[in-house]
Amino acid sequence: MNEIALSAIIRNLLEGAAWTLGLSLTAFVLGGIAGLILLFARIAKNPLPRRLAQAYIEVFQGTPLLMQLFIIFFGGSLIGLEVSPWIAAALGLTLFTSAYLGEIWRGCVESVPKGQWEASASLALTHVEQMRHVILPQALRIAIAPTVGFSVQVVKGTAVTSIIGFVELTKTGSMLANATFQPFLVFGLVALGYFALCYPLSAYSRVLERKIHGSRAH
Amino acid sequence: MALVHIDALHKHFGSNHVLKGIDLDIEEGQVIALIGRSGSGKSTLLRTINGLESFDEGRIEVDGERIHPHETDLRALRQKVGMVFQQFNLFPHLSAGQNVMLATRIVKKMPEQDAVDLAKAMLLKVGLQDKFDAYPDQLSGGQQQRVAIARALAMQPRVLLCDEITSALDPELVNEVLAVVRNLAAEGITLIMVTHEMRFAREVGDKLVFMYQGRIHESGDPQTLFANPQTPELASFIGSIN
Ligand SMILES: Nc1ncnc2c1ncn2[C@@H]1O[C@H](COP(=O)(O)OP(=O)(O)OP(=O)(O)O)[C@@H](O)[C@H]1O
Ligand SMILES: [Mg+2]
Repeated sequence: MNEIALSAIIRNLLEGAAWTLGLSLTAFVLGGIAGLILLFARIAKNPLPRRLAQAYIEVFQGTPLLMQLFIIFFGGSLIGLEVSPWIAAALGLTLFTSAYLGEIWRGCVESVPKGQWEASASLALTHVEQMRHVILPQALRIAIAPTVGFSVQVVKGTAVTSIIGFVELTKTGSMLANATFQPFLVFGLVALGYFALCYPLSAYSRVLERKIHGSRAH
Repeated sequence: MALVHIDALHKHFGSNHVLKGIDLDIEEGQVIALIGRSGSGKSTLLRTINGLESFDEGRIEVDGERIHPHETDLRALRQKVGMVFQQFNLFPHLSAGQNVMLATRIVKKMPEQDAVDLAKAMLLKVGLQDKFDAYPDQLSGGQQQRVAIARALAMQPRVLLCDEITSALDPELVNEVLAVVRNLAAEGITLIMVTHEMRFAREVGDKLVFMYQGRIHESGDPQTLFANPQTPELASFIGSIN
């Protein structure tokens, strides 16, 4: 095997992995913020925000991520907006992430027992005070594992953006495979790259969970 | 004027007519024992008094203040009415002391030190002065329920609602909770309690209210009613319990 070629492959793949990581972080942070807004809309007392948020979530959970990316990427140019692959990828993944996180977090809020609402209500707390002091602290604890678990899905979801030409890990891999005629080696390394990004996340979620369980009693 | 005044109260759950015209007056300092078969509407009646359930018709007044049937701003009312639940419902992420302090800090905006002192006093009242820093999952069921009582008392309610507060406890833990309630009754706190502890109801209650199919079927002095039920339904209910 050619030593120089291998180091060049690795250098290129690392650069691709950096873009995958950057895209994942962007989508996760922006999607998390949007997901929080969705969460509050979904559990609002007023039915209007509830329905809007539900429609949004159904659209983004009910269509493939790839279609969402196509619509943003090609739809933008249709109405005369120059949408770069980076913008389309970041926007598409953010919307996708927000829909899932909003729904995961709503599930966590709703899994807090009804008695917690009733006890805090009977102590004369307002809805916002109940959320802030009683419900969300408990929901947060429940939310950590599924949230970090979903972040692994976000990292893997970034691979789809290679199809609209965003040069992240997968796209870098397919270009290298074509150039070197060593698809097995290249995609093996690509898979290793994804594993290296995802494994620490799931390991971290386990540590966090243990820490929070432990901290409760002290 | 009665502290709690309930007049021709009706409540439906869908097509299920659960409260069919309840009239009830509760005087300051009275201990009311609410008894009846499962499904007779005891919990529902109790929960309308602090607005956990809405109602369809009738009138409820607590301490001269009227509760409107679909009122959403219940903050003033709920400061006058405390509630203790069958399942304790302590906040598991907060220590016993923090559970007791939460509402005084947030709702009454009490300064931290005053709230701590008050919480300690309330825990002392239920015999748990040394459990201020314990978390609910480190306490027995009986201790948790006593913290829940302390938490309700910290808001200095005019009336305390108790819904089968010993039913979820192991038998050997029932008495420590009943002892706390007995002390509260002796202090003159107004209590409305749904209970299956007939002996306790007879001993501590000032008034027994027997509910049957959404109505107050019979009510009066506990000693008299137990000895001499006026209706066959109460007679058979007492028979089924003993
Ligand atoms: N949230 C609810 N939705 C629909 N029906 C309800 C609800 N809560 C109570 N009910 C119905 O109302 C009726 C009265 O219930 P309630 O809980 O007041 O009875 P209870 O006397 O407290 O009984 P128990 O001794 O079992 O606690 C029952 O038929 C019950 O099924
Ligand atoms: Mg009940």
